[in-house]
Amino acid sequence: MRPFDPRLLRVVPAARRPMAALGVVGVLSGIATIGTAFALTALVVAVVEGDPLGVPAGWLAALFAVRALMAGLTERVAAWAGVAVSTALRSALLRRWSTLDADSRPEPAAAVSLATTGATTVEPYAARFLPTLVTASVVPVLAIATLVVVDWPSAVVVVLTVPLLPLFAALIGRATADETSRRWAALASLGGHFLDVVQGLPTLVSYGRAERQVATVREVSERHRRATMRTLRLAFLSSAALELLATISVAIVAVTVGLRLSTGSLDLGPALVAILLAPEAFWPIRRVGAEFHAAADGAAALDDILTHLTPSPAAPNASFGCESGGAAARSRPNDAFSSASGPAVRLSGVSYRYAAPLPDVVDHLDLEAGPGLTVVTGPSGVGKSTVLDLVAGLRRPRTGTVESPASHYVTQRPFLAAGSIREALTIGHHADDATLWEALRAVGVEGVVAALPGGLAAGLGDDGFGLSAGQRQRLALARAWLAPERVLLLDEPTAHLDPRSASEIAALIAGLADGRIIIAVTHRDELLAHAQHHLHLTRPGAITAETDNPVGAARS
Amino acid sequence: MTMTAGSNPSTASVLRGGLLGGVATASGIALTATSGWLIVRAAERPVILTLLTAIVMVRAFGIARPVFRYWERLVSHDAALGLLAQRRTEAYRALIPLTPARLGTRRRSAVLTGVVDDLTDEVEATVRVTVPVIGAVLAGALVVALSAALEPAVGAVLAVLALVVALICLVAARLETRSLDELFVARDEVARVAALATSQADQLQAVGGWTTALRWLDDAHAGLARATRRVSLGRASAAAGFLIAVGTAVVTIAFLVRDLDAGGPVKALLTLTPVAVSEAIAPLVDAVRARTRAAAAAARTRALLGLQPAVRAEPSPTKTDAGSARQACAAAEAKVPSAASDPTRSPDSTGSNGVTALAADLSAAPDIALHGVTASWNGQRSHLGPIDLHLPAGSRVAITGPNGAGKSTLLAVLARNLDTTGGGCTWDGVDVGTLPLTGVRDRIAVVDDAPHIFATTLRNNLTLAAPDATDDDILAGLTRVGLAPFVKALPDGLDTTLGTGGRGVSGGERARLGIARALLSRRPVVLLDEPVAHLDPPTARAVVADLLAEGTLEPSRTIVMVTHRDEGLDLFDRVLNLATPTSTAAIE
Repeated sequence: MRPFDPRLLRVVPAARRPMAALGVVGVLSGIATIGTAFALTALVVAVVEGDPLGVPAGWLAALFAVRALMAGLTERVAAWAGVAVSTALRSALLRRWSTLDADSRPEPAAAVSLATTGATTVEPYAARFLPTLVTASVVPVLAIATLVVVDWPSAVVVVLTVPLLPLFAALIGRATADETSRRWAALASLGGHFLDVVQGLPTLVSYGRAERQVATVREVSERHRRATMRTLRLAFLSSAALELLATISVAIVAVTVGLRLSTGSLDLGPALVAILLAPEAFWPIRRVGAEFHAAADGAAALDDILTHLTPSPAAPNASFGCESGGAAARSRPNDAFSSASGPAVRLSGVSYRYAAPLPDVVDHLDLEAGPGLTVVTGPSGVGKSTVLDLVAGLRRPRTGTVESPASHYVTQRPFLAAGSIREALTIGHHADDATLWEALRAVGVEGVVAALPGGLAAGLGDDGFGLSAGQRQRLALARAWLAPERVLLLDEPTAHLDPRSASEIAALIAGLADGRIIIAVTHRDELLAHAQHHLHLTRPGAITAETDNPVGAARS
Repeated sequence: MTMTAGSNPSTASVLRGGLLGGVATASGIALTATSGWLIVRAAERPVILTLLTAIVMVRAFGIARPVFRYWERLVSHDAALGLLAQRRTEAYRALIPLTPARLGTRRRSAVLTGVVDDLTDEVEATVRVTVPVIGAVLAGALVVALSAALEPAVGAVLAVLALVVALICLVAARLETRSLDELFVARDEVARVAALATSQADQLQAVGGWTTALRWLDDAHAGLARATRRVSLGRASAAAGFLIAVGTAVVTIAFLVRDLDAGGPVKALLTLTPVAVSEAIAPLVDAVRARTRAAAAAARTRALLGLQPAVRAEPSPTKTDAGSARQACAAAEAKVPSAASDPTRSPDSTGSNGVTALAADLSAAPDIALHGVTASWNGQRSHLGPIDLHLPAGSRVAITGPNGAGKSTLLAVLARNLDTTGGGCTWDGVDVGTLPLTGVRDRIAVVDDAPHIFATTLRNNLTLAAPDATDDDILAGLTRVGLAPFVKALPDGLDTTLGTGGRGVSGGERARLGIARALLSRRPVVLLDEPVAHLDPPTARAVVADLLAEGTLEPSRTIVMVTHRDEGLDLFDRVLNLATPTSTAAIE
């Protein structure tokens, strides 16, 4: 793990400006600091020799004022840079994931951890560590250059000893790199564990197991503590060693200065400047070491995020072979669709499995669905939902090709964001209130929404909390009703409805099928009555066709 | 400025850390001051030997500073991490009584961000605030005392400097605090949107919602940048203010000591002292920032964990007894929903501690009766009833009715997850509100419509409900809910780790796993909320039949299932139709 990864500037252009601002402020602060050493020396010499203080005091006051200004500015710029860099990373990460399918994205818990905690951890790295890094690369150089002019023997001592610091730091850094990455892994697993436990809290509470997880949470936290302390002990030891090294180096400068002072070969002024400037060549480098332990998490997270943003050219799904990743396996002929005649959703020879050791849930499936309502039935676990996932492009087939225009897909647990009903309905496409009411009327929840305080502005909890499963389902259908896409994929659209509502919704879906391609997975009879095509999956990949219109059937 | 660290061993560690930090800081100040003295003295060309004491002192201070700093950091970080572990555990424990009914009132991602980040911020104050402030105060007092001994006027100037620094801290803290709420709201929003978009990536893609989600993210980021700019004004003015204060002190002291009747080296030492002191002052900028964050984080955590549970705590002292017994036992256990044997599952976890209101035999189903019960999720609107319902031991009741009729609310009341707002609920004739909550819940298994699958083995996922179940029991249970082929297809059988969030587990399989859990638990009351919604009709009927046929093992088991489907309804003793919605505005 490097202290600064140049990939950051290349991959995330939004990070360039804050980095440049940090550099400018750092250089100006460094110059003011060097100037202060001269003014302070002049003042002390004047005090010791009883000279008038006016001029040196004025200079010192002015320089302190400049430094104060720069210090304030540094804090402002650092805070801005921290947020700018971390948000740029998060934004780039999510934008990238939005273009990937489920199999190419990292595991959900790890992804959430990276997008929230991970990106946020970069903030202290950028806000605290990077300014230190800038200072470390500016101030020592300025200090040494000044020393060369003022008192070259001191400069020689400093030049000979300063390189020991980064050398030492690099050696220690190499020794601790493994520990740090292990700690980051522990942190990620702890985050995943906590998420898992909190999400499972209802289950744990209901089986009286929540209390016993308290011990696990404590145990995992304690493990985290021990792992962290092991890393920190090394980090602190290295920073103490660097500080000692710096102190010894400054002491060598002081000894030579003192000897030359006592032999009269050096004046008090240059001697004081040398002794005040010598530490300036060391402490910024030391602080890099000291701050790095606080920033190590951020640097590791940054590395992780940048790796996700710059994937290796070798595609993870090697099984596509000559088909150049998944791109060729899936085409979305949006423009061609309007003029296309005949079936527009076409799966040929499609196989899919969730993870390598698991068997294929879809096995060499051929399927075509044309305009109208196609109902897919079959026993539980035969891969019906997976087929819809594949058509929607959420999953990439292991073999075969999927052709489909852009689709709107109502999953088994449709996503309703926390927020107003209006926001839940207009995600993905804009619609005015009149249209929204029309959609709500169509799915039969107009009355329910109208009675809510605020109507369309009424708030929903996370995942539609506060709504019954049936009402959630109907809102999701209202959204599908509003969707401009010509392909609708519906997974158990009537699952949470009572029989009367189910037949209402089935009729609604039949109406929607006019001019669209609808593929619906269902167990229930209401929809079948309206279906133009019926596909019955008996085992992964096998379709038993029972259709009243043999357009959509196929056999593998 | 100081944080109260709570009454535990880490308080001592924190104080120790502060003391060590004070020694380290004082050594640093002494190092700069004595070095200045030494140089000026050397310029007077004395006999080298007269400098020896000072040289030894400079060396001692030079070595003491890194050594004590190292020691301080070890002590304070270990104390902070220990505190963090403790606070996380406490926070998790406090979330338990708020589950499940209170989790929805706050967004889940906010719960997570709140608990994890706020606790970290709060505890970080130990390292970033308490220890540096104690150290700075100790070192500052020492410097003021020593310089006052040399020259009272300089001591006075340094004392004033200390006061000014304290004042700047207060003003800066107020500046930061002023906009901190805004910053936290902005952070929350960023975390919420990011977690939402990431965890719902598939769903967003399914409905073409990514463009909208990315716009939410951009808005959240803009808000965060705005709030950060405003908040950083506090620490920026502290950083600037400190330097102005130090510069003023240096100049003032220079004028004071120039005409002093003292040697040049002492004058130099006194003039340089404020510069040396700035080493102790600089870390306070960070302390200001950390302090305000910690205070706000602590307030937020308190607000979250201070929510009223949806059920009243039981009136008896049993809770703490049983709770600590459980913990003691749990401490021995290793992993997430562990399969290890669990002695607390024996009847004495409720019965033997003097509460005799519940039958000692946990496997016996109670006679449950509801009289004119009403209930509400939010206390503003009724979501159920009034309803009368009698469930003798061994009842098999299906509850149907249109959406919004209060089916789920009724189930939550029966499960003791939600208190009634009116009417009475009795178990064996005793008001259920007077019975120990754990005792009641220990006899109820709830299967909701989306059971959580933990990121652990299939076995652990099931034995969390039945710790002493053997593999044969588990396999029998899985077979009973039609999961035998599923298990057969798993690479490592019961030892297969199911992915986070149950990846690779279909909705139907998830529902069946939830039911298998309930069957294995041998709890006498089983409440099911739409368990077969995702199953095909033959399987749904088979699952319901298995569920009910299971009575051969525990004839007295009471089963209540909320459903909107017809399959298997004829297998129930009774079908309760909540025909009329309780409120036209009902969002249940």
